[in-house]
Amino acid sequence: MTEANGSTAKNPKVRVVIDGREIEATAGAPLLEAALDNGIEIPHYCYHPKLSIDGSCRMCQVQIQGQKKLAIACNTPCTEGLVVDTRSDEVADARRGVMELLLVNHPLDCPICDQAGECYLQDYSFEHGSHHARTTAPRRKGLKRVPIGPRVVFDQERCILCRRCVRFTNEISETNELRVFGIGDTSYIGTLEGRPLDNPYSVNVADVCPVGALLSSDFHHKRRVWFLEETESVCPGCSNGCNIKIGAFREEIQRLVPRRNDAVNETWMCDAGRLGYGFVGAADRIREARVCDDQGQQVVALDAAITAAAAALRRVREEHGAGAIGIVASGHLTNEEYFRLAGLARETLTTVSVDLAVPLGEGDDFLIRADKAANARGAREMGLVPGEAGRDLAGILNAVEAGEIRLLWIIGSKDFEAVVGTERALAIAGRLETLILQDVQPSGLSDKATIQLPGATWAEKAGTFTNYVGRVQRIRPAVHSPEGVLLDGEIFAALTGALSGRAAVPFVPSSVFDEIAAAVGAYAGLAHQSLGGAGTNPADVTEGVG
Amino acid sequence: MSVTASAPRFLLPPDSEIWTSLEVYREHGGYAAAETAIRSIAPAAIADEVKASGLRGRGGAGFATAMKWSFLPKDGSRPRYIACNADESEPGTFKDRQIMERNPHRLLEGLLIAGFASAIDAAYIYVRGEYRTAYDALRRAIADAHAAGLLGKNIFGSGFDFEIHVHRGAGAYICGEETGLMESLEGRKGQPRKRPPFPAISGLWKRPTIINNVETMSHVPGIIANGAAAFRAVGTEKSSGTTIFGISGNVQRPGAYELPLGTPLREIIFEHAGGLLPGRTIKAVIPGGVSMPVLTAEQAMAVTMDHDALQAVGSLLGTGAIIVLDDQQCLVRAAAVIAKFYRVESCGQCTQCREGTGWLHKLLLKVESGAGSGADLEAIEDVARFMEGHTICGLSDAAAWASGWFLRRFRGEFEAHLEGRGCPHDATSFEI
Repeated sequence: MTEANGSTAKNPKVRVVIDGREIEATAGAPLLEAALDNGIEIPHYCYHPKLSIDGSCRMCQVQIQGQKKLAIACNTPCTEGLVVDTRSDEVADARRGVMELLLVNHPLDCPICDQAGECYLQDYSFEHGSHHARTTAPRRKGLKRVPIGPRVVFDQERCILCRRCVRFTNEISETNELRVFGIGDTSYIGTLEGRPLDNPYSVNVADVCPVGALLSSDFHHKRRVWFLEETESVCPGCSNGCNIKIGAFREEIQRLVPRRNDAVNETWMCDAGRLGYGFVGAADRIREARVCDDQGQQVVALDAAITAAAAALRRVREEHGAGAIGIVASGHLTNEEYFRLAGLARETLTTVSVDLAVPLGEGDDFLIRADKAANARGAREMGLVPGEAGRDLAGILNAVEAGEIRLLWIIGSKDFEAVVGTERALAIAGRLETLILQDVQPSGLSDKATIQLPGATWAEKAGTFTNYVGRVQRIRPAVHSPEGVLLDGEIFAALTGALSGRAAVPFVPSSVFDEIAAAVGAYAGLAHQSLGGAGTNPADVTEGVG
Repeated sequence: MSVTASAPRFLLPPDSEIWTSLEVYREHGGYAAAETAIRSIAPAAIADEVKASGLRGRGGAGFATAMKWSFLPKDGSRPRYIACNADESEPGTFKDRQIMERNPHRLLEGLLIAGFASAIDAAYIYVRGEYRTAYDALRRAIADAHAAGLLGKNIFGSGFDFEIHVHRGAGAYICGEETGLMESLEGRKGQPRKRPPFPAISGLWKRPTIINNVETMSHVPGIIANGAAAFRAVGTEKSSGTTIFGISGNVQRPGAYELPLGTPLREIIFEHAGGLLPGRTIKAVIPGGVSMPVLTAEQAMAVTMDHDALQAVGSLLGTGAIIVLDDQQCLVRAAAVIAKFYRVESCGQCTQCREGTGWLHKLLLKVESGAGSGADLEAIEDVARFMEGHTICGLSDAAAWASGWFLRRFRGEFEAHLEGRGCPHDATSFEI
């Protein structure tokens, strides 16, 4: 049960009967919302659970017992004893009318429309419309494929004027770029001269658009949606943890779209997060392991590089003690990986100089958090914190410069470089005996690595992220890692095995999570299988309201 | 001679007179009713008198005026407003204009009494943009009334404060729809609001608002001055008082005639409007503005112009704007002209209206040109059905009725156009 309409949240419950089925609803909540929340599909276009009620598409008309005319379900408040019929002949005829009229001027260019396959005009037309067309009059002409903003393409002919996009820019992004110009059948959505649709959340209008009028430029003519394999995951762009679906085709990510989670991102995500997946399949992605010899960096098999890393770690520890080892990780790994890394650092290497490097950027008061890592909170909760006698990031840098730390293992050197600064990062690299980099993307330090281990991206992993308020959410693999690349957790497992002299324990994220639940106080009581699609905030579990 | 020729006038001065000046209006008893009401009648008693008069709204829907007022919240919260609908745009209608141009204080006095009766802070008169003369007359009348202490603070020493403002529209028919009017008045595009909430609860600036037509409000002073009984003595049981019938089309003397409700349509056409041109016969009559279902000649000759009688023959009184179409007119062409009006005036919010008005227009043009078929007539019927009763406001209904009833009542004439036969008339009355 969503509580999008805050004013009804505290209202009493009432009983409403829809097509003979009694449901419980919040008094005053829109009938359409109550129906949808109970799995009763009433077709609709202009209604959106996170936008104000518009009431103009007229698709959600239903028969209310005792009322002469049909009523729109979106603007009918739930009251005790409301009896609703969504299947009467009159309702069916009204829906057929709306569908026929919506299509009178629609270009029907479905073969080249990105929305085809997930289009409410197609779906409702099939289900509620007439199965033959009888219009012979020329259809309304309009703009085609125009950029209405830097990240959104507009097709005026396909627009059904539901005004969800207008309400989005008025109510959610609060940037007011879109409005309806003209009246009657010459109405059209547009922007004012010099004020394109350009805000940090602009591509959400493509999601709310029920037809193919507003489209993501990034996804435009890229792939038929029915070829996409969609995987539920979490956006890695910042610590907000917006719920998403990763759409992939033949091991390539095609798009990210938001997935509804009222506790995190409602139905939205920012443009930066949505469009930030390019690194996964980037040409310059680090796909090879390298080890430096007298001739410079040489490409080697990953297991050889892991063996070399283990040897270097063992040697420095034996020769100079655990204090000569520093580990700096980015905030992009999973909880399960951090848990294994923390175990490796504390128990196997007994080093205490462990910290994170998390770049800060712009944040806002909506979804965009300044800290640009998905799981920094989780990392710290898994133990990626300087121990009591340990050095934090600043201490580690100083210790390198003082010659006390001789081996630095950086997981995510791009973030490290961003936080430390290129100049100092290079100077640090120059002071080290051994620099181990475990990277997905190249950085200014890549050339300096003694050992380079290719890492994996979030899109290739199963596991959990903990967002900035402590909500634990699952990510799932949408694509496979490049040939010969291991998941970061697998690298940690292999290193742990090599350093301890025991057989490596396979890295199984769900099992690791159970270990976390047993070992980390804040996660006590959580079970991997019960996290579900929306994740869980341990605080809520403790309070018994999860 | 008809029985109604000497009927009283409640709204308009004698034909030869114009009462725009405050002095002249007061010479004819103007503002006496307001003074009596504000000085010595309890607000509730004023509303009771209006209720007893049986006054029904003159804007088209014919809703009981006192009942509309009674929907205001009883909690005494302020401010609350009157929106006075002077956006007279229904094709064929030019009655409110007569009042505003020739007797503007009558409207102001009505608003003042209604304002006092319902504890209103201010009234906003929304005047059709094209009505420049009416606007100027109202502005002058308001200034004069203000100067005389009839508006403003402490009116008649009663402690009652009341202001009247005038706003000119910009020419959109939809701004005559009550909530479209409110949107426009508040500075937004004139698009009707979904209901609930209703204006009496949340109207202008989300405050309780009563909205009445110019003529409706202009009847209030007469009801207070002469009593409900005198008002009821005119008209019929359920359609009391007079109204201003505007008659146009193929008659000798088109014009505005204040007559009792219930006057036979035949009398209005043949006596007051001077009948038809020589040799012509009536083909069709639209009785209440183009939004109301058209009547056949037989229906028109038998009906009286009141709510019940018109409803009984499948039409409505609307604004009492009578349009006479004689035997020289092509009704398909007439329907197409009317359909075009709705097409260009639809605000474009609701699917059925936005797309349906355009499609109806195209279908009617096609039929008129002779290119139509039986399937097109079927489509007109279907589209009209889809449009009726399914939208935020009544514009869609009106457009559906106009096309739908022309087809239903004159199907033979539509069929005569089909299959390449084209228009049998050489009518030039309507530009398509």
